[in-house]
Amino acid sequence: MSHDQTASAKHEPSSDALVQVRGLRTRIGDKVIFDGLDLDVPRGSVTAVMGPSGTGKTTLLRHLTGQLRPDAGSVRVDGEEVAKLSRRALFALRERIGFLFQNSALLTDFSVFENVAFPLRQHAKLPEELLRDIVLTKLQAVGLRGAAGLMPSELSGGMARRVALARAIVFDPMLILYDEPFVGLDPIALNQVLRLIRTLNRTLGITSILVAHELAAIRQVADRVYLIANGKLVAQGAPDELAHQNSPWTRQFFGGEADGPVPFHYPAPDYATELGFAGRAQ
Amino acid sequence: MNANLRRHWLLQGIVSLGECGIFFVAVLGALPKSLRYWRELCRQVWFVGAMSLVIVMVCGLFVGMVLALQLYYTLSIFGGTAALGTVVALSLFRELGPVVTALLVAGRAGTAVTAEIGLMRATDQLDAMSMMAVDPLAYVASPRFLAGVIAMPLLECVFNAMGIFGGHLVGVSWLGLDNGTFWGNMTSTVTLHGDVLDGLYKSIVFGGVVSLIAVFQGYTAPPTSEGVAYSTTRTVVFSSIVILAFDFVMTAFMT
Ligand SMILES: Nc1ncnc2c1ncn2[C@@H]1O[C@H](COP(=O)(O)OP(=O)(O)OP(=O)(O)O)[C@@H](O)[C@H]1O
Ligand SMILES: [Mg+2]
Repeated sequence: MSHDQTASAKHEPSSDALVQVRGLRTRIGDKVIFDGLDLDVPRGSVTAVMGPSGTGKTTLLRHLTGQLRPDAGSVRVDGEEVAKLSRRALFALRERIGFLFQNSALLTDFSVFENVAFPLRQHAKLPEELLRDIVLTKLQAVGLRGAAGLMPSELSGGMARRVALARAIVFDPMLILYDEPFVGLDPIALNQVLRLIRTLNRTLGITSILVAHELAAIRQVADRVYLIANGKLVAQGAPDELAHQNSPWTRQFFGGEADGPVPFHYPAPDYATELGFAGRAQ
Repeated sequence: MNANLRRHWLLQGIVSLGECGIFFVAVLGALPKSLRYWRELCRQVWFVGAMSLVIVMVCGLFVGMVLALQLYYTLSIFGGTAALGTVVALSLFRELGPVVTALLVAGRAGTAVTAEIGLMRATDQLDAMSMMAVDPLAYVASPRFLAGVIAMPLLECVFNAMGIFGGHLVGVSWLGLDNGTFWGNMTSTVTLHGDVLDGLYKSIVFGGVVSLIAVFQGYTAPPTSEGVAYSTTRTVVFSSIVILAFDFVMTAFMT
């Protein structure tokens, strides 16, 4: 791992929460996404957020960065109420947050190198030499130093995710939000990314929140797992604890069963009725 | 936004107009910050200006040539063909230069800007920028708006020059007017303040209008392929209508 360890002051995970969500309520259109969600992310921890597809994990991250305002409840990041921040203060907060988009969201007009350099160029007046070194270090960490000159359209999906990852961490922010960082990675890349997340956390004390579905991977990095379903927090604990916890939620979710309290189907009218069988059956 | 308000097309139009007004203020507000991204501004001026140069030059040439032909015919009825240079230049400076250039730029560069920004929205690039604490209004919208205001008058000058050259080509080289009469009458009648600058003012306003519409349509395009396609079309339609309407109003006030 070539990650530079100059700022090696090892942060002790302190007890106070970097992210604090209280009674979060959100609806998008007519759909209730969160219905009283409470959640704490301790400083210096790696926290995983899990939940069935479409429960609002991405929506939760959007709340943390102020892209979305809650209908009720509070979202505090580093002690600041995100929804109440002015535009300027919000941008100042975002400078300290790295965000990995679920769909990578690379800037298509810029090369891989320039994509990773983008946040640095905007906010830090660095000499070109130093900037180049930092960007190449981050690209090396995700195994794509050789791809620095390519354009985003020339990348595969998994490569694009790793570039997006490099861009999210280039600033060594205080908080990194990863939206599904493991999707589309081969086992080797997956291992490297896991090591990267761990190193960033251990050496720089960066707090990480990762949304992911891969329990095996989460077990290797996460200190704590939150399971969200039906707009609420339904289970929490250390990954190993949670996998063996005997609640209907965890049993069903980690067992991958279709029936149980966690709905697999998006809300829909009765299947038979919609297919037109209901009348004929009688 | 109130869903009922959205239903009637007239109300919908008024609501969009209001949104565009608010957007305009936001873009203006982001202008000072966008000066930090002067590289981006240069890139956009180059994009709008240089990319539209060929089409503006070719069209200017043909418009000047056809003007000379038509006006020569009209003037010859009254025996006033000596005034050909003057009327060609006046038509170009006061009217055709600003209007035709604006229409061409709307079609050539406005659509590209709308499609580009719409696609950036659809692929989350604008969100990604704002997540990296870079205001997309300052980085994407304002430079493109300003680029239109800067490039349009420059293109208009090129258009006029090519138009007069075309008029000269037809009037002097082909129809056999006297070269000295052509230039002499023109330079003694056309005034800088009344004619050339008035046209230039029009051009600056049209530049602002066209690029505002293009950026607004792109910024508010629904993030779908159909949404971007419709927004691109709307850029051309709205720009054309607004250019011609503004042209009438400005001409009425200027003369
Ligand atoms: N712009 C939108 N308009 C309407 N509904 C939306 C919108 N964005 C999200 N939703 C709804 O919000 C819910 C939560 O979406 P979200 O993207 O947060 O899910 P997720 O938990 O991240 O799912 P996944 O694991 O598949 O990424 C979904 O049911 C979706 O239908
Ligand atoms: Mg998601």
